[in-house]
Amino acid sequence: MSEAPVAPQFQPMHLGEEAKPPMAVTPKPETLFEVRAKRFAALAPDHQLKGYLEFLAAIAKAQAALLETLPPVALPESEALERAFEHGMAPIARASLPAADVAMKTLDALLSALKTVEMPDKAMAALEGVIAADADERRAMVDAVLSDTLPHEEIAEHVYVAAALQVHFARLAALLDADRLTPVSDGACPACGGPPVSSSVVGTVGSQNTRFATCSCCATQWHVVRVKCVACSSTKGIHYNHVQGTADTLKAECCDECKRYLKILYTVTDPELDAVADDVASAGLDLMVREAGFSRAGFNAYLAGF
Amino acid sequence: MLKDVSRRQFLGTAGAGVAGTAIGAFGFDGAGEALAASIRPFKLEGTTETRNTCPYCSVGCGVILYSKGADKAAGKKGQLVHLEGDPDHPTNKGTLCPKGSALLDFVKAETRTKEPMVRKPGSNKWEPISWDAALDRIARLMKDDRDANFIAKNKDGATVNRWISTGFLAASATTNETAWATYKVVRSAGMLVFDNQARV
Repeated sequence: MSEAPVAPQFQPMHLGEEAKPPMAVTPKPETLFEVRAKRFAALAPDHQLKGYLEFLAAIAKAQAALLETLPPVALPESEALERAFEHGMAPIARASLPAADVAMKTLDALLSALKTVEMPDKAMAALEGVIAADADERRAMVDAVLSDTLPHEEIAEHVYVAAALQVHFARLAALLDADRLTPVSDGACPACGGPPVSSSVVGTVGSQNTRFATCSCCATQWHVVRVKCVACSSTKGIHYNHVQGTADTLKAECCDECKRYLKILYTVTDPELDAVADDVASAGLDLMVREAGFSRAGFNAYLAGF
Repeated sequence: MLKDVSRRQFLGTAGAGVAGTAIGAFGFDGAGEALAASIRPFKLEGTTETRNTCPYCSVGCGVILYSKGADKAAGKKGQLVHLEGDPDHPTNKGTLCPKGSALLDFVKAETRTKEPMVRKPGSNKWEPISWDAALDRIARLMKDDRDANFIAKNKDGATVNRWISTGFLAASATTNETAWATYKVVRSAGMLVFDNQARV
């Protein structure tokens, strides 16, 4: 019997890369802090914040070095995870961090690692202050950082705590199955519920030109439709500002509805941009956008007070 | 009476406000001032990104239009500087065909038709005409032609209700509803020479 005739087959014409962005991308701690340390160091020369960026490079380097020495972290019980997924909540509950958790050991390890870093006297005094703090005081600092409010008079102390928690939560988030994450709320991380630090228009294969917000706490990236306010989800009155005469690969996405802004990094054009490091290095843009009447929607411990 | 001090004036007097930040808290005071000073000669440059739909065909691809220089307060319109496929659009997922990719030239083309035009019988040039005059003229000519050439019955006496002396070419980037309405209007007038996107 002869074969049935087959309709002619055509290859689809190539019109560019189709974007099918995943809802969320979990962090890879093993490269996250190392890449960030390099970026801080690369941004430092000739920068007005040279000393500060070098200091933050040292912190990121210490964060990266911690990973091999720390005991393993564990996600909440599967029952609690399922309950979170079922009710559209973030599976890693920041508010209920166990008291004797690895997070405290992480803080301890980071503090000892930073003792050898060269830093101004004020920074060293703050570091010694946290080292001297007892378990209850440290716990209170952790709670303050996890509610994204750093007390005005003790910013530096809390930034050390925030740096340790970045490591802890990135390690936790790395254990999650990204496919199971669902949106939880406007401007909240689907893994831990934290606020974004900045957003990036990415060039990764399969997600070209789509935008992901990066969590300030656990570094999970979640997809947010472009030309839309990450903080309030408004699509009206969105406009972009950058400093005249500088590269337009980093802008402030300003929302006329909620009068807030979040920086947007075009990593599709400049893959070197880092969600945290370039946010700090572009602090000049914050000063200018602030004068134009907008306030920061993103949270970055290293820019606390901006 | 106390005068209101605007936030801008306050920041101006307080050394552009890097005090009370993490930078200051760690003891990098000089760095904060250098940062504040470095931005003084610069201005913000605004860009707008706008979602729109490609006008060419019925696929209706999403595009993001980048424009610069718009000033709402001064009533100044921005200039389109760049465009690309909308990666969040369910139809094209960021892709564009060669015609869609060239929309920038289409928008800026000097020869682009921006108003109704008429080329009168015997004339060799196009002239602008108002929408009202154009619609009145089209309706008048269609009615006259239909009255003169409408075929109600064929030579065997069967009812055919056809009008084949006028043709109708309708738009492509239309919604289902527009295509449906166009089809109903044209076909119920008896017109057979007809094409629009509903065929595709």
